[in-house]
Amino acid sequence: MLVIGVALIVVLILGGQTPAASTTTARAAAQAAYAPPPLATYDERSPHVASALNVYATQGAVRGAASAPSSTLPPVSPGAFAAPVAAYLAYSGRVLGVMEGQISSLKTALASGDRAQSQRTWLAAYASYLRLGGVYLEGQLATLNQAIDGTPGGLAGGVTSPRFSGLHRIEYGLWTGQPPTALEPWATRLGADVRRLRAMMPKVQISPLDYATRAHEILEDAVRDLLSGTDVPWSGAGVVGTNAGLVATTEIVNTLAPVLNVREGVLATVRSDLSGLRTTLESIARAHGGQLPTDAGLSQMQSEELDASTGQALEGLAQVPGALETTAAATPQIPQSAVKLDP
Amino acid sequence: MSPLDRRTFLTRSTALLGAVGAGGVAGGAAAAARAAEIQQQPGDVNAEVGAAASATDLVTQQPFSGVHQNGILNPPPAQATFVALDSFAPDRASLMQALRVLSTRAQALTVGGPIPLLEIDAPPADSGTLGPDNAPDALTVTIGLGASLFDGRYGLGGQRPRELTQMPTFPVDQLDPAQSHGDLLLQICAQHRDTVVHTLRELLRSVRGTFQQRWSIDGFASAGRGPTPKNNPRNLFGFRDGTANPPTTDASLMNQLVWAGAGEPGWAAGGTYQVVRIIRMHVEFWDRVALREQQTMIGRARDTGAPLGGTTEFEDPRYDLDPHGQRIPLDAHIRLANPRTSTTTNQRILRRGFNYHRGFDHAGQLDQGLVFVAFNQSPSRQFVTIQERLNAEPMVDYITPVGGGYFFVPPGAQGAEFVGSGLFA
Repeated sequence: MLVIGVALIVVLILGGQTPAASTTTARAAAQAAYAPPPLATYDERSPHVASALNVYATQGAVRGAASAPSSTLPPVSPGAFAAPVAAYLAYSGRVLGVMEGQISSLKTALASGDRAQSQRTWLAAYASYLRLGGVYLEGQLATLNQAIDGTPGGLAGGVTSPRFSGLHRIEYGLWTGQPPTALEPWATRLGADVRRLRAMMPKVQISPLDYATRAHEILEDAVRDLLSGTDVPWSGAGVVGTNAGLVATTEIVNTLAPVLNVREGVLATVRSDLSGLRTTLESIARAHGGQLPTDAGLSQMQSEELDASTGQALEGLAQVPGALETTAAATPQIPQSAVKLDP
Repeated sequence: MSPLDRRTFLTRSTALLGAVGAGGVAGGAAAAARAAEIQQQPGDVNAEVGAAASATDLVTQQPFSGVHQNGILNPPPAQATFVALDSFAPDRASLMQALRVLSTRAQALTVGGPIPLLEIDAPPADSGTLGPDNAPDALTVTIGLGASLFDGRYGLGGQRPRELTQMPTFPVDQLDPAQSHGDLLLQICAQHRDTVVHTLRELLRSVRGTFQQRWSIDGFASAGRGPTPKNNPRNLFGFRDGTANPPTTDASLMNQLVWAGAGEPGWAAGGTYQVVRIIRMHVEFWDRVALREQQTMIGRARDTGAPLGGTTEFEDPRYDLDPHGQRIPLDAHIRLANPRTSTTTNQRILRRGFNYHRGFDHAGQLDQGLVFVAFNQSPSRQFVTIQERLNAEPMVDYITPVGGGYFFVPPGAQGAEFVGSGLFA
């Protein structure tokens, strides 16, 4: 069921679908047709919240009563991450391969001057990049990521900076009336950067800690950078991007399933929460004629429910890094003889 | 029912107002008398909701005049508002006049006292939101000037403080132009929110048409929850903030770190550079991070504020004994911000920030964070050097600077001077 759900979403994105036209009439119709799916009971929806209740019920708010409880499970061996990381890198290579094809289509569309078609293909390529789940690595990869997915925010001069390139440079041009044909060189450069990234993928090193935190950071980034509109101010592709982040998160959680499965029920929690988010996105797409809308196209209730489902998923995912703790050295203390008070 | 005759109504009101006005003599004394009155009425329900405690704060005065402006070295009170203004003064003389009005009005508000009575047919001199007698409430108004005021409009180019520029964009920034920069900055601080709001309203009224609001943000200080009065309040990440501030009672240290002078235009001596950064904190994200990771990002224990491995807040982190960052990681916030070496001593800044909360963002996330405020003698030597070290700290994932600006806070007004009068000498 889970696998089918993921496949459906992949099809949704790979189908190159575009946010529904946000005309007033379309939005009104969407709002009228939208019925939120029924919620599960509170405890079923929020196993992590239930566990928090248990913590407060047993430890209470009595000062000094709470001693830091430690896991009774033995730490995970760092070697247990080798197979998950290898599976993820193979997945990333496949996604980047798909993206290269989409960039070719984007170049064709740009060359023909067809703005609507260019926007559709841009959206497909952007969703592919987000399905990687973030290339926030160091050194050369970080530089490539900046060239491919960098935003103008941190650059002196903003959108006029010569260092503003890649997906968001093209997004900026396509949604602010620049001639599509003038954007073709950016797409050519984007294609070359993505090819270089794909060639580097097999050699990428990801530490167990980075991989474990990535499980929740992809959707954290989606909330912070996409649903907020920060990274996609022109296209409004926050919902599409969140959907892509869900696909990436699901992929990573699946690779980690053998390790997580024996860890304090975390896998079941996370899968239940991700499934809830998927259900929400599917019902939003249904209400918009089978396509995910732009952020502005969401009705207030749709927007609230998406935020609720994403928040729910994130609370569950926040348990993943802790559950995958490999080793934890105690913090050394400053020796009494070395204590010096500030003036 | 016959319609109320407006003139009759006004005449009746005049008599009433006259009675009230006659009672409202000698502002400070009246406020103190009222405070005492509140304290003597324990049975009054209004006196039981903390009014007795506030009454003491309400009569506290902070001077407006002095060698330096106030609102810098004095301990931050509970409430603050920062407002950046742009100038639409048509010429130099109008700008000078508006600055004089700002100082005059600000000074009167910090002193407090009864509202002047005008003709009953005129709009009142004061909004009256604090009653007929304004209590000073530890109010400070600090006036800063942005680099854009020194462009060609007013012939002030030659007077620009040496290091005053528009705030640059740092790599982690997502600066929103609508929340950044400005010709002037007003920093309004007081113990109570109503005082701050009233002051803002009165000050803007006094310069309407000349200074127009560009952006503003409200801040609050966390209550002093101890365990001792010296312990610093917490920011919205739950950590104590301001621990490593240089002591403001050390005048010679303030001359080395805060007050500008050498190399500056003559009028600027005794002023200081103010850096304001509206730093959004992604608090939901932060709340999902394990305590260990939170603490290693900051470098302190959340509970006590002690440097990791220590036991009390005001303890030297002893980086000398931890050269490889096994106790406090080399990229921990406190370690990058203040490495405590002999070469970084003169880089220290005076922080005087406030927490902010302004509802939710577009994605339903709490819009909370820090109004970071730093006073320093030389931004290039101090703030910028520190900020560049912090570009690579792990905490950047959890924060987004979205606005603010660089301002120069002129020296204080003394005698017949007003803040900025040295510019026109």
